[in-house]
Amino acid sequence: MNRIPLERKVLSENDRIAGDLRRAYQANGILCLNFISSPGSGKTSLLERTLEALPAETRVALLTGDIQTDNDARRLARFGFPVRQVTTAGACHLDARMVEQHLQEWDLAKLDLLLVENVGNLVCPTSYDLGEAGKIVVLSVTEGEDKPLKYPGIFRKSELMILNKTDLLPYVPFDMAAARDNARSIHPGIEILELSCQTGAGLEAWMRWLRARRNATRSLGRSPTEPGAG
Amino acid sequence: MHELAIASSILDAVRTESARYAGARVHKVGVRIGEYSGVASESLRFCFDALVKDSGLEPLALDIELCRAGDGVRGDELDLSYLEIEEPETA
Repeated sequence: MNRIPLERKVLSENDRIAGDLRRAYQANGILCLNFISSPGSGKTSLLERTLEALPAETRVALLTGDIQTDNDARRLARFGFPVRQVTTAGACHLDARMVEQHLQEWDLAKLDLLLVENVGNLVCPTSYDLGEAGKIVVLSVTEGEDKPLKYPGIFRKSELMILNKTDLLPYVPFDMAAARDNARSIHPGIEILELSCQTGAGLEAWMRWLRARRNATRSLGRSPTEPGAG
Repeated sequence: MHELAIASSILDAVRTESARYAGARVHKVGVRIGEYSGVASESLRFCFDALVKDSGLEPLALDIELCRAGDGVRGDELDLSYLEIEEPETA
């Protein structure tokens, strides 16, 4: 019997496609963000509020993943930006090939921002690189402040945690300070924003974060000559 | 749930890697799983055992090494670490 050492990622094929996507985003100066959360924590609502706040000339497109239905794509399409639903038919996560396939009809040279809403799940999407520049984890106050400790993988890999549904704080036993501490115990450098998609509280800070992140991408990519800096 | 997709990726990788050794039989594949990888080892083993049947690779054993973060280990590893193969005897 002969033992042959291997140093290869199990998901190397996914990673290869994700690498191609990342290079394509960089070549076109696109900021791609991957939104991950439990089902029902408010990813789609956050994206709705984001699209509502973006200038109409913003060169943004969205992919939204779900196991079944195109409900989210229909919600997001109301704002007039290009949206495609990725229906995974059972898979609990998006992978790079799904993203690649759903981008084929779009001209990347005409985009600055690509927002990817993953399937609602705090575990499985963590394993799959989609070529994004960053992951954003959304945690709502109805879920419990110990989620970062229970699902550390996604909190370690995310650059930003959005604490959503803060309008419900008077009605639920959610310890905001503990949620922050738990997230930082897993990922000391994670940025944290609080907001409510219902009341709009905190949305300005989120839009500032998004603009700053987008401008940083543009300064690394092509010249920012297009309108819609947002 | 995604352990099924990961088990399938392991079998694909075994096929690709073992193709370098013509006629060899793969007995075991080693996989390294970090504590923050988001992969449940028992679910992965269950899915692997289900998929390996009728895959043409049976019997193929899965050896899972769990690793904790620290001392240079990130903790999000999901790697193939080795193949154990039996090469055909040459005349």
